[in-house]
Amino acid sequence: MNAPESLFRRPAAPTSESQLARIVRSNEEIKSIVATAFKINLMALNAIFLAKRAGTAALGFGVLSNELRRFAQDLTQQMASLREMTAESVTAVSNLMQQRRLDRILELAVLACEGREIPGLELVMARAEGAMTGKFQRLRQFDKVLHRALEATGQLVELGGVLARSAKIEAAYGGQYSSSLMQVSTDFADVIDQIKRSLEKLTRERLIKEGS
Amino acid sequence: MKQCRTIFQDGDHRWLAIVRDPNRAGHVIDTNEYLIESGGDSLLCDPGGIEIFPAVFSALCAETDPNRVKAIFASHQDPDIISSLALWLDFNPGLKCYTSWLWSSFLPHFGGTAETFASLPDEGGSIPVGDLDLEAVPAHYLHSSGNFHLYDRGAKILFSGDVGAALLPPEQDDLFVKDFDQHIQYAAGFHRRWMGSNEAKRRWCERVAVMNIDMLCPQHGAIYQGEDVARFIDWFDQLTVGIL
Repeated sequence: MNAPESLFRRPAAPTSESQLARIVRSNEEIKSIVATAFKINLMALNAIFLAKRAGTAALGFGVLSNELRRFAQDLTQQMASLREMTAESVTAVSNLMQQRRLDRILELAVLACEGREIPGLELVMARAEGAMTGKFQRLRQFDKVLHRALEATGQLVELGGVLARSAKIEAAYGGQYSSSLMQVSTDFADVIDQIKRSLEKLTRERLIKEGS
Repeated sequence: MKQCRTIFQDGDHRWLAIVRDPNRAGHVIDTNEYLIESGGDSLLCDPGGIEIFPAVFSALCAETDPNRVKAIFASHQDPDIISSLALWLDFNPGLKCYTSWLWSSFLPHFGGTAETFASLPDEGGSIPVGDLDLEAVPAHYLHSSGNFHLYDRGAKILFSGDVGAALLPPEQDDLFVKDFDQHIQYAAGFHRRWMGSNEAKRRWCERVAVMNIDMLCPQHGAIYQGEDVARFIDWFDQLTVGIL
């Protein structure tokens, strides 16, 4: 007799519905970081003009503003690549959901046969199992790549934080422009903190839970 | 579970009707599936929607080997016709799906590869199954814009898709039409609304009226046989369709 139980030999995957919800949440965080990076870019541009007006007293601040502008551009690029990855994750999760639905209906069909011999069932089950395993592994691979990219982005944001702190120190030497430069550097620090929080949220949104 | 009933047999040439699922959820329309067997191969007409696959599959397995299903005929593109395609392909990845050329790039949304689909031209064509050559009969705009019926000259059976369909009340579950006049009230509303063209209907009636048909097998409702076949064609010819 063909045992329908063998149909259940599948990798224990978490629910794909919640995976899709996680991808949507990740995408929203990415959009928010991209918007903030755009804001940093404009802020840095204004800071460069301010430093030029302040003259030699704000030379260091000017250099840091340039670096912050480059940071904003690098961050935008990094987020574009993360966004591409999440789009590919949607495909991987959708494929897994579709496979799971087909498997569920196939299982019901075999159970409905009430133990009758179904020629070729073993082969069908093996194919279905292979398809499910392949799709699950692909998702796991995406999750790893996404996580590594997030770690790299985290390091970049750390650098942004250091630049913002240094800008604060340089602002103190800005002479009569000191208070304006301090205000700008505080704004830098605030938006970078905002990015850090978004990034922490992103890092928590895993496509596959640990150990599955 | 659905019942699998033999409606024609001549040696290994056989028609099975897979009908009437008492466990079907009320919100899902009841469908008839037909399996045509010959020379060890078989073709499944309008295999049905993905949600009813377990019922169709188990009924079919009770009568025959599902690995023998080498082809599927999809009269048109609706989900209640063909959304189970991917599951049938699980059993036979080499299976051929015959459908109108109009839908051969739409049906892959339900599954299959480029090799799965055999496109039928508007004028129809023949479909080999075992020792048989079945005829794809044009029925465009009845109701789909790319629509075919399937005629088995040897068995004198016409699979007529949605033409002849009736939305029967649950207590009327006869396989064959017993009282045409009483039955046809359940077909009238369906045909007026679903069939969009009086011109297309007239052409179909003229085409099938000259065919030798013992049984007209719709996808929903009961099968017309004997004199009820001509009675139905006449009734349909008189009906004004494409109206609310």
